[in-house]
Amino acid sequence: MTASELMQPAELMQEVQDASTAYDSLWAGASIPTQDLSGLEQVMLAHDKLYVVLAVVLIIWIGIVILLLRNDARLASVERIMEEQGTSFDDGL
Amino acid sequence: MSTGKRTSAMGVENTPPVPAAELHHAVTLATPSTHDTMINLRRYTLIRNIVLVWLSLVLLAAFLLNIPKINILEHTARNLYFHVPMWFTMMAAVFVSAYHSFQVLRSGDIVRDIRALQAARVGAFFGVLGLVTGIVWSKFTWYVGTDVWWNFDPRQSMVSLQLLIYGAYFVLRGALDDPNKRARIAAVYNLFAATTTPFLLYVIPRQMDSLHPGAEGNPAFSEITHPIMRLVFYPAIVGFIGMFWVLYTQRVRTALIKHRVTHDPEL
Repeated sequence: MTASELMQPAELMQEVQDASTAYDSLWAGASIPTQDLSGLEQVMLAHDKLYVVLAVVLIIWIGIVILLLRNDARLASVERIMEEQGTSFDDGL
Repeated sequence: MSTGKRTSAMGVENTPPVPAAELHHAVTLATPSTHDTMINLRRYTLIRNIVLVWLSLVLLAAFLLNIPKINILEHTARNLYFHVPMWFTMMAAVFVSAYHSFQVLRSGDIVRDIRALQAARVGAFFGVLGLVTGIVWSKFTWYVGTDVWWNFDPRQSMVSLQLLIYGAYFVLRGALDDPNKRARIAAVYNLFAATTTPFLLYVIPRQMDSLHPGAEGNPAFSEITHPIMRLVFYPAIVGFIGMFWVLYTQRVRTALIKHRVTHDPEL
């Protein structure tokens, strides 16, 4: 299924918006050919979709860890340059 | 702030004046103003520790605070505490970056260029995090039962465009060799990139139908968002902007040292 097939005409979307909460206006009541839940979806939707929040927190955490490691690598490369140049720390750096 | 206070904050007392001959390598670029060449390490450490404790508490509160259950959203409403602050943080980073780019054009100070670049780098990093968390959130909340991961939500598309605009900023810098020329040209482009940000992040997406609240009026909250969530949401914004400041300052410190030993501040 392509994304364009999922797009609803504007009038239909307006109807749907009136009938439901703001957040699900695109989807609730729309005639989406819903498939059975995939294994991944079954896992993610367990406990009232709590694992979606866990996934979001983990993505942010892993992102920060990656940036931290990259910063570390940059620092190490500067340290190597300083060692090669024999730069001392005596100049107040 | 006086130079004396700065020096003691760096933990180095009684630094003898460096003979001019030893500075031969440092004067090839526009001389950095003393005001910004050093980071106040004591202040940095204090803020870093506060940010780490603060964000830990935000994380705890985000999961422990009871919120009303809403159809479709259910627990994913808690993503308000994580996904949305990413964009606030990126916007803050854009402001910091644009401010320093403006200062580059005013003074030609290479340290301002270092700060503008690193703020943009870390800001784009938070933008990517916001984009990826948004994709995961929508996939398992609104696109359940479909194969859709990306549905060209106006806001998603516009922020992707904005991240590409910042990508061009980094590429542009790589194409220029002379640090002083690079600082000025990149500053002009960066001011353009900063100008498009509020439009692509806020103005245009609010004119279209979207999964994101906003077209109804309030940008981050809608009538179904319970007021109690503000208790965690606002501290989360402060915490993540603090996290930006810590990561950004780390990179500025490294870039300043690299500039000092190789005359090239690019990390």
